[in-house]
Amino acid sequence: MSRIKDFTVYVIDDEEDIRISLTRSLTKRGYKVESFTSAESFLDTYDQSKSGCLLLDYGMPDMNGLELQEKLIKMEISVPIIFMTGHGGIPQSVQAIKAGAIDFLEKPFKQKVLLEAIKVAFERAAIVNQDTEDAKALKAKFETLTTREKEIAQFIVQNPADTSSKNIGRQLDVSPRTIDHHRARVLEKMDVTSVAELIEKALRSNLFSS
Amino acid sequence: MKLSLGAILAIWLSGLQFVAVLSVVSFYFVSSERVLLDHATTLIGEVGRSSTEHSKGFLEPAIRATELAKRLIESDIVDSSNTEELEKLLFQQMQVVPQLSGIYYGDDQGNFVYVMRSEEHAEFRTKLVSRDNENVHTELIWRDGDYNIAEFTVDPTDKFDPRVRPWFMDAKKKQNFVWTSPYIFFSSQRPGITAAIPILSASGQFEGVIGVDIEIDEISRFLSNLNIGDSGVAMALSSDRDVIAHPNSTFIRETDETNTLKFVKIDQIEDLVAREAFGNLPNFNQVASEQEIEAEFKYNDGKYASILIPGSNHDLPWSIAIYAPLSDFIGGIEENRTRNIWIAMFIAMVTGLIGLKIANKINQPIRDFAVRAGLVASGEASKSLANTQTYPELEEVSETLASEIAQRKTFERIYGLTFSLASRGMAQIAPNDGHFIRVNQQLGDILGYTTKEMAGMSIFDILHPEDADSYISFQKTMFEDYEYNQEKRYIRKNGEIVWLQVNAFLIRDHQGEPMYAVATIDNRTAQKKAESKINELSRDLSHFARVNMMGQMAEGLAHELNQPLTSLTQNVDAALLTVNELPNPDPELVEILNDMDRQAHHGAEIIRALRGLVRKDEGEQTNFDLSELLDQTLQLLKPEANEHEISISFKEQDIPNVFGNRVQVAQVIMNLTRNAIEAVEASSANERQIVIETYLRDKFIEVHVIDTGPGIDPNVDLFAQFESSKRDGMGLGLSLSRTLIEANGGKIWFEPKNKGRSRFCFTIPTAVIN
Repeated sequence: MSRIKDFTVYVIDDEEDIRISLTRSLTKRGYKVESFTSAESFLDTYDQSKSGCLLLDYGMPDMNGLELQEKLIKMEISVPIIFMTGHGGIPQSVQAIKAGAIDFLEKPFKQKVLLEAIKVAFERAAIVNQDTEDAKALKAKFETLTTREKEIAQFIVQNPADTSSKNIGRQLDVSPRTIDHHRARVLEKMDVTSVAELIEKALRSNLFSS
Repeated sequence: MKLSLGAILAIWLSGLQFVAVLSVVSFYFVSSERVLLDHATTLIGEVGRSSTEHSKGFLEPAIRATELAKRLIESDIVDSSNTEELEKLLFQQMQVVPQLSGIYYGDDQGNFVYVMRSEEHAEFRTKLVSRDNENVHTELIWRDGDYNIAEFTVDPTDKFDPRVRPWFMDAKKKQNFVWTSPYIFFSSQRPGITAAIPILSASGQFEGVIGVDIEIDEISRFLSNLNIGDSGVAMALSSDRDVIAHPNSTFIRETDETNTLKFVKIDQIEDLVAREAFGNLPNFNQVASEQEIEAEFKYNDGKYASILIPGSNHDLPWSIAIYAPLSDFIGGIEENRTRNIWIAMFIAMVTGLIGLKIANKINQPIRDFAVRAGLVASGEASKSLANTQTYPELEEVSETLASEIAQRKTFERIYGLTFSLASRGMAQIAPNDGHFIRVNQQLGDILGYTTKEMAGMSIFDILHPEDADSYISFQKTMFEDYEYNQEKRYIRKNGEIVWLQVNAFLIRDHQGEPMYAVATIDNRTAQKKAESKINELSRDLSHFARVNMMGQMAEGLAHELNQPLTSLTQNVDAALLTVNELPNPDPELVEILNDMDRQAHHGAEIIRALRGLVRKDEGEQTNFDLSELLDQTLQLLKPEANEHEISISFKEQDIPNVFGNRVQVAQVIMNLTRNAIEAVEASSANERQIVIETYLRDKFIEVHVIDTGPGIDPNVDLFAQFESSKRDGMGLGLSLSRTLIEANGGKIWFEPKNKGRSRFCFTIPTAVIN
């Protein structure tokens, strides 16, 4: 479990006073804070392995907040984002939230609101991390299977409607008895108790996504 | 109805000759009959008169014989008292005059000598009655032609007294020649008549009477031998209405109840036609004394003519009566007449046909001419009028006509083409009542009527109620010979209002009378709509500008103020934490910091409220035609550009509709173009031009506003608020434009000067097709 001390808040704003004051107050609250003058400079130095969230100004010259959000989604970087705006109430907030933003804060915002948002972001990041770790573990277990077992496991996950030995055997041209035997081995090696658990875990970890 | 020349000719030629033939025939019909009837009457009259003459000739010898005897006695050549001498005298007369059946002399003493023709014993017989007082001696002597006695007898029973006989008494009484009424001789049973003449002494003393008996059977024979037509009848009538002679001698005798023979009365004769002709004459005595009576009458469908010639005029003891059927005289003629009428009708028909033929022949060239003229007039034949046979007079006319028609056709065609092919509506309008004489299809289309429908309409039918007075000004202008040129509202068939630019002038004929007004009509509705749209846009823009300028300023201020306020609150938060970290934090300082935080937020609230107060509603986003909007917006800027002698050109492209707030986009176009105008205006370059271009880029339309101005100072942050390269600029225009474009989902940017041209560009998303 990651701890709040390891959690980094990335402040991105073109205004220096904002960067300084936010860094100051959040650092006082015990967060690690890194600040950037633009979206581009953030992208240049961002380390994916670190747990954290973005405190992102919407209205910046060159690449604005929304564009950065879009870019991160494209790069499959699932870092939580909290938007800030000096204009307030603009329609783009909806778009940002839809794309997964934690919140859209109108400057100046109450400290309580900001901390609440960061807390949500921290939890979101924790879940993401957990999932990532689970997926890694599942993947490792999957690699221990034989080729036939991998084949059967993949078939079960991708055809959850009919997981009977008969059906699997017909599709893979193997006898149902052999399937029964293999399936028991798969469940044992993957450390799950049922076919349903196997399917649920595999789907959550995107085991066969590609 | 007007008759054609052919009909007139036919009617006159055939009708005239028909009337001529008819009148000749009927004149002949009437006059020939009259002549024939006259002829018949004359003929009958002639017959009557000749009959009268014949009668006279028949009777004359008898009369002469009596007169001779009278003279002989009176001149004492024959002694009347000498019976022998007297008998001899009378015998001689009998021999000389065959008409006489007997001659006699009776004197006042009752003596009587009578010589008559006899059929027994000898040729003649004499009766001698001598009277001496009451002793009467009667001798009968028969003699032959040589006066020899053949027989002699005395008849003591015969007491004949001449003095009581009618002839004696008549003659004695009248002292003149008398005829007795005709009678029928007892002995011969033949009709006869007695003439008597008194004998006077030298001293004028009445001595006796000489009488003669004349058989008038001869008259009947004569009359029956007369040819009066085929069946005409001549009769002799006595003054007592007795028929004394008739071609059929059996008709005239009858026996009465005493078994004596007598004449038949005219009204009882078996000849019924004669009865009809003469039986009704009321008083024959009177009639007999009058002039000839001619008459025509009908009997049993037959027409008859009759004549009555009274004998008294001719010293005759009877009248001659003649009747004859007219058919005897005109029958043949009538037949001939019927034949003639048939012939005349035939001739009339033949000549009528000939007349028609002639009329046709005379008329043919004229008809041909008319047909060809018609063809030429309707444009179906060329002007080859002179090709066929015609009259020289018509040839000239036809040549003239052909060229006239050709000219007129050309004019008509050109005019008609002008009229119907005109791109604008055209109409001929009657200036008095405003009805449409002629309209072209285009006008019909403009007003939604067919040209046929419009032909029955007047300008009042399409006038807008609020512009109804425009016709009065139209009429007034027309009659004053000015050109009418006005833009007014009119009503289409479907009730829509159209703005029509009507340009009209009056055409007068050669006498200066107004014929019609020619009007050209342009539909200005679209322009009107465009104008009103532009005006609306202009109104919207100015309103938008007014509201947005404040809104923009408030927005800008809010942003500018919110940044420091954010830093302030963050710093206060950090300060509070710092203070609270102290071993003995000053509660007053904590309170001050909390107040600062609250007041900073309060300031932000005020700014937010101000912004909400002036922020115009974001406005509805719709699909709209960007080209149209560009056009309209540029129209608004034209006067400004013209003032600075700058040309604005917009190359309209076929681009899809865009989605956004129309007025906001218009405001951006306005801002950019106005900036461009100001930039070009400040430039000294020869080229003073602004070009607007549009491009379709994926899901956006890109608009470029290109100018030949001096370009932008690269140090200026163009789209930032309160920054301007213009001396008197507030720096709001472009920042506002950016706000607006971004609010509409687009982008705005500047491309620096390249090849003498700078461009401001923005995008706007294309419409989403539902």
